[in-house]
Amino acid sequence: MADEFEITDEMRSQFGVDTQPWEYEVTTTSVRMYARGIGSDDPIHYDVDFAKGQGFRSIVAPMGYIGTPVFLPGKNDPTFGFPRREGGPRLNIPFKGLLDGGTETEYLDVICAGDVLEETSHLSDLKMRGKMLFVTNEAVYKNKATGKVVAKQKLTSIHL
Amino acid sequence: MTQIYAEDIKLGDEIPQLRKRCSTQQLVQWAAGSGDFYQIHYDKEFAQGTGLKGLIVHGALKNAFLGQLLHDWIGEQGQIRRFGCAYRGMDEPDQDIHCRGVVTSVRRDGGKNVVELDVWTEKPDGKKTSPGKAIVTLPSRP
Amino acid sequence: MTEQVYFEDVKEGQELPPIKMTPDKQQLVKFAAGSGDFNPLHFDENFPMLKPMGLTENIVHGRFKYAQVGRLVFSFAGYKGRVKNFGVSYRGMDPLNNEIIAGGVVTAKRQEGGENLVDLDIWTQNADGKKTTPGTATVALPSRG
Repeated sequence: MADEFEITDEMRSQFGVDTQPWEYEVTTTSVRMYARGIGSDDPIHYDVDFAKGQGFRSIVAPMGYIGTPVFLPGKNDPTFGFPRREGGPRLNIPFKGLLDGGTETEYLDVICAGDVLEETSHLSDLKMRGKMLFVTNEAVYKNKATGKVVAKQKLTSIHL
Repeated sequence: MTQIYAEDIKLGDEIPQLRKRCSTQQLVQWAAGSGDFYQIHYDKEFAQGTGLKGLIVHGALKNAFLGQLLHDWIGEQGQIRRFGCAYRGMDEPDQDIHCRGVVTSVRRDGGKNVVELDVWTEKPDGKKTSPGKAIVTLPSRP
Repeated sequence: MTEQVYFEDVKEGQELPPIKMTPDKQQLVKFAAGSGDFNPLHFDENFPMLKPMGLTENIVHGRFKYAQVGRLVFSFAGYKGRVKNFGVSYRGMDPLNNEIIAGGVVTAKRQEGGENLVDLDIWTQNADGKKTTPGTATVALPSRG
């Protein structure tokens, strides 16, 4: 199937089309679970008093963790947890396998427990390399309380 | 969901069954939700190293299923006062778990309709793996 | 936490103290819990997708390796420093129970917009030295000044 796949202008016209916003939560429990998940024992991710003593609002989200998307049954992917939203790009990708191709994060602020973020994302690139399709999405995270963009993340998936 | 009322039930009634079948993924999600990361629930080699035949379902998850069974039955106006079960047998992933309950007592107490039940989880061969008891209250017909 | 490093103390070509980790299945299940990515590829040896992908065992999440590099740069920046950006691409798979080493080296120092910036090459490598997750990062460091 992948042999017949071609990137069309119609697909390219979806670049930059924003999804509806989705809420992501950064909680003390979620930060600690992520920190345990990566095997860190840095108290800055666990101990609220310690983190405040170092000048942070609360425990600090480990690098790469930008909150957990609010999960609503039927609206989020049951395996990966990401939201399936109205609007945004629609691609019919006839590939079976899925691999993670890369992750880039840009920080404009420190993310701490207690932050509630609003994420929107858009398709930014499509590329064929041999029989593999590289799909790049860019997500922007705003702090809901301040309206300030706190992080941007670029995610590349490989479909094969 | 339609509300069930105290007047609708009598001793010996069986409540609607809840059928569960846990994938390894669901056991991992339970580990995530509960914080219980004991490997016998998702790491087959580890489980076998402790003398088990293979992976087993968390007892606390079966307890939670019985909670869900009751929650689904009593409707929005009912209340679960207490429920519990013992863990008497093991369940495996990818095998049906039937969650069941039977009414053992219906009475008026303190202005409430109090209903007692036997609840349990059952394997496909009929063996009860988590027998327990529950007390709920149900509304009267308006 | 190690002592705070300052911009003046950093030299081009300087290597970061590596972070070594041998993730077992429990570690990856905890990562699934923390990240919300419950793909059975990472913990279920009977997952039907393993074979079509040419795999005989579970593999480590790419994002887990990314997080190890994240620990490395966060720890280098210290509590007074800030990670400005870090990115990697996933070029190779790492099976469970194999050592992963997150490493980095300083490639440039510069001052920009009032910030003291340090550019790094970062990666994870396996026990054979193969870099399965190469990338770059920029951190801002405090100045002794």
